[in-house]
Amino acid sequence: MTADLAKRGIRRLLIANRGEIAIRIIRACRERAIETVAVYSDADAEAPFVRAADQAVHLGAAPARESYLDGAKVIAAALATGADAVHPGYGFLSERAHFAKACEAADLIFVGPPSSSLERMGSKIGARRLMVEAGVPVVPGETPADQSDAALEAAIARIGFPALIKPSAGGGGIGMKIVRTASEAADALAAARREAQASFGDSTLYVERLIERPRHVEIQVFADTHGNVVHLFERECSAQRRHQKMVEESPCPALSATVRSAMGQAAVAAARAVGYRNAGTCEFLLEGEGDAARFYFLEMNTRLQVEHPVTECVVGVDLVHAQLTVAGGEPLPFTQEGLTQRGHAIECRIYAEDPAQGFIPQAGRLLLYREPQGPGIRVDSGVTAGTEVSVYYDPMLAKLIVWGESRDIARHRALAALRDFAVLGIRTNIPFMLQLLQHPQFVAATIDTGFLDREGAVIAAASVTELPPAAHAAVAEHRRQFGSGGGAAPPGGPATVGGDVDPFVSLRGWRG
Amino acid sequence: MADSPVVTPLGGGWYLVDDGERRWRVAVAGDRDTQWVFVNGQVATVEAPKAIARRRGKGHDAGVMSPMPATVVALHVAPGQSVTEGETLIVLEAMKMELPIRAPRDGVVKTVACAKGDMVQPGVNLLEFE
Repeated sequence: MTADLAKRGIRRLLIANRGEIAIRIIRACRERAIETVAVYSDADAEAPFVRAADQAVHLGAAPARESYLDGAKVIAAALATGADAVHPGYGFLSERAHFAKACEAADLIFVGPPSSSLERMGSKIGARRLMVEAGVPVVPGETPADQSDAALEAAIARIGFPALIKPSAGGGGIGMKIVRTASEAADALAAARREAQASFGDSTLYVERLIERPRHVEIQVFADTHGNVVHLFERECSAQRRHQKMVEESPCPALSATVRSAMGQAAVAAARAVGYRNAGTCEFLLEGEGDAARFYFLEMNTRLQVEHPVTECVVGVDLVHAQLTVAGGEPLPFTQEGLTQRGHAIECRIYAEDPAQGFIPQAGRLLLYREPQGPGIRVDSGVTAGTEVSVYYDPMLAKLIVWGESRDIARHRALAALRDFAVLGIRTNIPFMLQLLQHPQFVAATIDTGFLDREGAVIAAASVTELPPAAHAAVAEHRRQFGSGGGAAPPGGPATVGGDVDPFVSLRGWRG
Repeated sequence: MADSPVVTPLGGGWYLVDDGERRWRVAVAGDRDTQWVFVNGQVATVEAPKAIARRRGKGHDAGVMSPMPATVVALHVAPGQSVTEGETLIVLEAMKMELPIRAPRDGVVKTVACAKGDMVQPGVNLLEFE
């Protein structure tokens, strides 16, 4: 039955997602003459993605568990509208094996991997074992059965220095000890054991290689139902805050051709090991750079990634089209030999958050919204002027993706585009992003995954600058036009940009 | 700037401002009291003088609210307590972030309408001043 559906391709697709990714998928469907069905919650009734779809089905209340995470409602909507396929996007139900299985049971094409792949990659321990069997490098580590000092020290010697000792039962950094030389091991083991026993009632220790200042480098993979598995090179996503990515780029400036090729092959091996199908991403930690760099498998994201446009720009492919092609049972539209990287792409995630206030998420109505345009500039967004940004979902408003012949050209293009990206009504991270992209370490491409957690507050403080007098002149004119009573303003402090303790500062006296 | 800048409305909240040395494209939006202003990727809010006067007058800041659905994780004040402007009254948590709610002015707490552990919604006073 599923095979028959696949043979005739997808005719009507339900998008089990919202926001920018729903619009991204709807656009691809329009180009393929596939009808689209949107599903939405109370909070999204008037959202652009709902209006963009050919049909829309209301799922339920705003909280995701009552709408976008309710797999039964989503499948009922697909069946009620006669959809023959479901695209899960990213987040929500996209990596839930039970949902993929329910789609399969309902004879709906799930645009993604088979539920069996989701199950195998869903368990971190199971995935790690599978990767070791497939010859994919993982961070060396073990829980020795013999927990004596001698056995643990032997384990540390096996995995190499610097090593990290941590309680097997632990979490949150408690009892974690770094061992840089063999002579430090005995003291560190004793301390870790005491803390593990005191905090978790279990002194069993796990030892692993400590990867210092790693980069996050991931490989895009794609597999079809005809046995083809390819990789589409890397994306570097080291600029992340609390594991939330902020900037992604490709190529990764730290990768040599040799290491890139080895990572690509490892990612393809990983995909084959789990019988993968459709688009997926293998995340790795990268230690060092150039030919000396070493990489370690972190996890596989069994879905389309937020940052997929970076790959689309550099490799010159359309990953959503390829997803629909493969889901419809056709072979991949590209071969490994035909894929190359050209130029450099950078993606900036525009979040509704206030970096000057500890990155607190923002909610409210977008009073004015204008996206930048121009050669090499792409904006994937799910909002427009008037959109009410709620606190129920991910705070990402849009993705700015730029392409240029070189990293520096792309970076300058991103800066110019950010300066032209107007969002009024709620705070965004655009002023922060402008600072980040000019930070010496970003310019030099030496950022590791801990960089924003260490430097974020400093960069946020630097993003608060004073408004030029020209801005005050425009405000005065605006008030004059719309009668908001600004005219003869009393003297007051200058308005500051980017938000501070009291964002409500009076307008400096102005005569126009 | 010796001369007044020339401001040309471009429509849709956009203005071209010529300060004699260079030109700026500025966007302005907002309600009667508060304007949001954009220039070169920077954003600020500017409050109208009348709104400031109103806000400072009696009757305004009669209480504090949560800006978003959140959970009360700490309550630092009780009815009858005097507080000073900027003092942390309540600590909320939303999206794994702590959010201190500070006193908007000096005053005396009249009533407290939330308790530790409560889920609170925006637009509802968490406490009121006398």
